[in-house]
Amino acid sequence: MKIIVPIKQVPETGAVKMDETTGTMIREGVEAIINPLDLYGIELAIRLREQFGGEVVTISMGPPKAEKALREAIAMGCDRGILLSDRAFAGADTWATAYALSQAIRKEGQFDLIICGERATDGDTGQVGPAIASFLDLPVASYVSKFDGCDAKAVRVHRLVEDGYEVLEVGLPAVLTVVKEVSDPRLPTLRGKQKARKAEIPVMTHEAIDADPECLGLKGSPTRVVKIHRPKVARQCTKVVAADEAAVAKAVDGLIKMLESKDLI
Amino acid sequence: MVQVRHPYNKVTARIADELRKIVGEKYVVFGDTERLEPYSHDEVAEAEYAHMPEALVRPGTAEEIAAIVKLANRERIAVTPRGAGSGLSGGAVPLCGGIVLLCDRMNRVLEIDAANMMLVCEPGVVTNEINNQLADYGLVFAGYPMSLETCYIGGNVAENAGGGKAVKYGVTGRYITGVEMVSPTGEIVRYGGKCVKDVTGYNMVQLMVGSEGTLGIFTKIWIKLMPLPKEAVNLLVLFETVQQAIDAVPRIMTSGGIIPTAIEFMDRLSVQASCRYLNETIPYEKCGAMLLVEVDGSDEAQVERDYEKVGELCVECGAIEVYVADNHTTRERIWKVRRNIAEAFKVVSPHQSLEDIVVPIANIPAMIPELEKLSAKYDIQIPCYGHAGDGNLHATPVKNPSASLEHWHAILPHIMEELFKVTARLGGTISGEHGIGHKRKKYLPLVMGEAEIEMMRQIKRALDPNNILNPGKIFDV
Repeated sequence: MKIIVPIKQVPETGAVKMDETTGTMIREGVEAIINPLDLYGIELAIRLREQFGGEVVTISMGPPKAEKALREAIAMGCDRGILLSDRAFAGADTWATAYALSQAIRKEGQFDLIICGERATDGDTGQVGPAIASFLDLPVASYVSKFDGCDAKAVRVHRLVEDGYEVLEVGLPAVLTVVKEVSDPRLPTLRGKQKARKAEIPVMTHEAIDADPECLGLKGSPTRVVKIHRPKVARQCTKVVAADEAAVAKAVDGLIKMLESKDLI
Repeated sequence: MVQVRHPYNKVTARIADELRKIVGEKYVVFGDTERLEPYSHDEVAEAEYAHMPEALVRPGTAEEIAAIVKLANRERIAVTPRGAGSGLSGGAVPLCGGIVLLCDRMNRVLEIDAANMMLVCEPGVVTNEINNQLADYGLVFAGYPMSLETCYIGGNVAENAGGGKAVKYGVTGRYITGVEMVSPTGEIVRYGGKCVKDVTGYNMVQLMVGSEGTLGIFTKIWIKLMPLPKEAVNLLVLFETVQQAIDAVPRIMTSGGIIPTAIEFMDRLSVQASCRYLNETIPYEKCGAMLLVEVDGSDEAQVERDYEKVGELCVECGAIEVYVADNHTTRERIWKVRRNIAEAFKVVSPHQSLEDIVVPIANIPAMIPELEKLSAKYDIQIPCYGHAGDGNLHATPVKNPSASLEHWHAILPHIMEELFKVTARLGGTISGEHGIGHKRKKYLPLVMGEAEIEMMRQIKRALDPNNILNPGKIFDV
């Protein structure tokens, strides 16, 4: 089974500070990590390879330093890594990102599965995985919470929906986007790290993937970020103090009335 | 609750009024049991170590503290200084009632002097906050108590807190170059300051460090800073046996020539309880012990070489697997295993005695079978984890959930005594970082002679003639 795992390098969100005037993230000096939700996809891919044989290829679009994320994925157990890095890719929205990634994936020839994390913790769109499927004209199962077996032609997965899960059979090749429930990511090992350090990571530019320059980067992005602002969370607090049972009963009645008046219960 | 006979007077309504005049109406709690109760104990779980204060006072300045202490001397009322209450020796418990003096309002970082690599702050600053503020300067306070997210720097200095990074960086005291404090008789005095070297008179600063609130109340603290290491990598190393894990510890430093930031040890019981509690999926079932090793530095390539060497040495010592964490996600995951051991055992039983015995590091392997003997004899679990690089072990007797509480209370003193006797026999002592307080007071003679204790008593008597400050701690005057 040959599996492609697109990953994204993101700032570690716990350490991110916001620029109050522009409303954007200050990325300088913040540690860059593999998008935490991509780790579940990496883990699932490695497990499938351990079970069925084959190869796991991880791919990332980003600045040269995104190579570190690919090496971490190799340290976890991916076989190879490919970096798409070119000024022409800069400023891409989800459409242009998915286009570039899908062009690079075409260069990989035959494969069985593409496994993505459900969304990245920085952009939070969840669109790139399904968009890759669209560009490559492949079936997609999003929010996959369980891998439930496969044969030569199809995989069977559970897809998380609001009130439970759907059981889907998806013809191969296919794209899966996965949620946390799908696996427990392993930690990289010393031997994995040593292997990753020696691994050669080819860097592909827009020419190497035969991409139409008009469809890349900021120029090729149909969406524009017009304004970003932090929502104001307005919380009101009422303190109710009750010393004896009668007061507690009264306080509870008051609370029920208040919640009812706001249509909360 | 402890019952203590003591010669102190009680805080009366009149004295409470005087206290209010000193610090202000809203910073005194008196006669309100519910609001005073949280100040009757620290993180030591057993109710037998708790004692209610009569008043809580929250001063805002050194002058206010001096006035309170003078009043206490005049009226013969005990004063127990308190930080965040995260201590593990009963140090902040008002054993003789009286006044608990809380330093939470004195929580300002007064100065960050980057040119001198010094920070001056008040005692109520949350320790973690110090390093948050220093990050922008590329500086760090290298003290690292495990409770850093809650504890106050004043408490760290008073207890000379250790923690997880002492192998390389030492404990709190190494970084304290000056203190301003209120003496037990109510004088405001200052020793040391920003000088790195200072042999002017007795080393009073280091006498105050670790004095457990018995010799003075800190009002200002001078802290020496270090350049913040830019890179840190953690290894989680799984071993089949304790012996293999412990054998690796000195070898890392001797053959490896590397002083790691931390070498934390966890025995089978600790590992299994914590991993189960966290739903951790690393293959811990077959592992008899784990080491968590951290190396840090400013040069990425150097740190890489160091961790690789440490990892290879561990493999030579028989490690089953070496996991490498070099980013926030994986680092947190690894440290969680170590940090959640105590929490995990609270699920087994909330009744446990978190000890912090310390032995010369080469004697750790000899300690483990002794703990097993003790567990078998008293039919309890004694998970053992801690700072292997310093020989400082949290051997923690946990009550057998099927035994009665009376039984636990009956056997615990015997367990403690036997544990401490073994520790002494192995060249160790009864507390490496938590302090004596009143929890370990009666065991002090197991590791210290009468002449040594008497000399400490003489210091206490000379500085605190009325025995006002934190009475009943460390030893009886």
